[in-house]
Amino acid sequence: MKKIGLIVILIISIAAIVFVYNDYFLYKNPILKVTSIKTIVEDNDAIGEKVYTQHIKGIIKNGRHRGKKYELTNTYSESLVYDDKIENHTELFVEFSVDDNEINGITGIKRDKYIAILLIIFIDLILIIAGNKGVKTLISLFVNIGITAGAILLFMKNITTTNLLLLFFIVAIIFVVSSLFITNGKSKKTLAAIVSSIVSLLISFGLSFLFIKLNEEKIFIWTMDYIEAVFDYNNYLYVCILLSGLGAIMDISITISSALSELIRKNKKIDRLALIKSGKEISKDIIGTMINVMLFTCYTSIIPTVVLATRNNMNLITALDFYGNLELMIVLCNCIGIVLTIPISLFISILILKKKEVKKDE
Amino acid sequence: MNKILFLVLLILLLLIGRKRGLKTFISFIFCMALIVLYLFLMKLGANAIITAFIICILASLVSIFLLNGISTKTLAAFIGVMIVQVITFVLICFITNRANIGAFSEESLGTVACFNQGINYNMMNVIIGMYLVSIVGTVIDTSISVSSSMNEVLENNPKIKEKELYKSGMNIGGDILSTTINTLFFALISVFIGFFMWHRGMSFEQVINYKSFADDVARLIIAFIGSVLIIPVTSLISSKILLNKKVINFVDDVQDRISEIFNE
Repeated sequence: MKKIGLIVILIISIAAIVFVYNDYFLYKNPILKVTSIKTIVEDNDAIGEKVYTQHIKGIIKNGRHRGKKYELTNTYSESLVYDDKIENHTELFVEFSVDDNEINGITGIKRDKYIAILLIIFIDLILIIAGNKGVKTLISLFVNIGITAGAILLFMKNITTTNLLLLFFIVAIIFVVSSLFITNGKSKKTLAAIVSSIVSLLISFGLSFLFIKLNEEKIFIWTMDYIEAVFDYNNYLYVCILLSGLGAIMDISITISSALSELIRKNKKIDRLALIKSGKEISKDIIGTMINVMLFTCYTSIIPTVVLATRNNMNLITALDFYGNLELMIVLCNCIGIVLTIPISLFISILILKKKEVKKDE
Repeated sequence: MNKILFLVLLILLLLIGRKRGLKTFISFIFCMALIVLYLFLMKLGANAIITAFIICILASLVSIFLLNGISTKTLAAFIGVMIVQVITFVLICFITNRANIGAFSEESLGTVACFNQGINYNMMNVIIGMYLVSIVGTVIDTSISVSSSMNEVLENNPKIKEKELYKSGMNIGGDILSTTINTLFFALISVFIGFFMWHRGMSFEQVINYKSFADDVARLIIAFIGSVLIIPVTSLISSKILLNKKVINFVDDVQDRISEIFNE
């Protein structure tokens, strides 16, 4: 049975990869597949490093010009800060001139197949390694992606009337209920985890909100970069804080509530103090790594900007102050939220799990 | 400003964890310092990929050995992390190179325009290094959970065979997986919301080929892949190491020597 499943997965994956490698017909914009490149190097004193000019020959893969060969040029500077280096395997979206005879320029690079390959590798790995548990994880993941996509679409349609923060507050609660239900099934411990996640989220977000409101002027300077942004940046910042720690909060809540329900199941007369003590013990083990995960995953996104700034002779401390403070604040707010989750879920789990036990005894 | 938040975090950790809380806080500060060190080395012009590997090794050394002590289970966790970092490195190189995931895209033009682009430093390597460092936290997390649970299984059942031990490791890993994936998904989801707010009215075909969208998706999925791959790797290595007499003796030796040094 297992072998058959494996073969089916592999066949579907290969078929999917073959499909995305030949999906030109799905696109309206003309796609050029590069066939040969001639590169000319020049020293550019204005920029201060080498600049490469690529003379590219290629063939159009779709639309009216399908099969015809064209030539175009592309330039990039050595450090690749903003430019793209075109290689032989690259496929480009191009724009034709008004008279339709030659290519005006490159409008983009075709990246869809690589995203698809990455996704297929992930799905295959999770199915092969984790089996049924992997299926459950994938379902919960795709439900969450669906909810997010739905919320974004809803926001786009009613952009002027919808409050971004309020919308994602409701979405966050839906996330909590759906993820915990899918992975843990319907039980008392799931209920305890859901209630404690929501309460922890409310309290930790409330504190972050208050903190930001009190220091709004200082934080405003950090977000100078985004003033030109077309959307309500302040609310987006709150949504970042609201959502980034949500996974960790749920993780701690469910760990505590399942551990406590296990303890109560084994010894129905266990007292609250003993429960609190062992609950604390368990959460101490996870909290350290959880905080570091938050730091590594979220804070590293500042790296490209800071490198660009410091390589332009900006002082590292200044660069971190300029481009890193906001990210650091989000990470720290979330870490505080994660730590606060421990006492909150201990309290609520004991309240929910113990109360029901007492009723049963009577 | 952030100093206040650091202080609040420290106080909360001390209240809840006491000594362990202090340890957690110190390791958090240390990891933070590692990221700053990484940025400093890149400012000086060190190779971004080699430096990223060194930072990953230092981060694993501290969060595995310093926080959890030296033993066969932590040794297994460490080796597992290193192997997974190398495997994902190959995948990261493939994807960043093929999909032309560069450093900056149109939405960061405001930032890029402030600076000279001729920095004589390969930004593609910076991106690869950033991917490597950003996943190391989760990989360490899962690795240590799997290997310590396997050690627990072994202690409760000393006569267990290698194959059964491996299976129990895979089982435990499967249990952790869903929460890990969930944590990562939410940690990175706001980036996507930001992306769609920026690029209103972009068509589906534009979105899935867009540079920064590819960057965000790749970062998320590579973190997922790292946290999935670490499960069989650590299970396999733990099942070999935890039962291997030579390794057990070696680790005992190291433990003895370290305690001697501390006694002196």
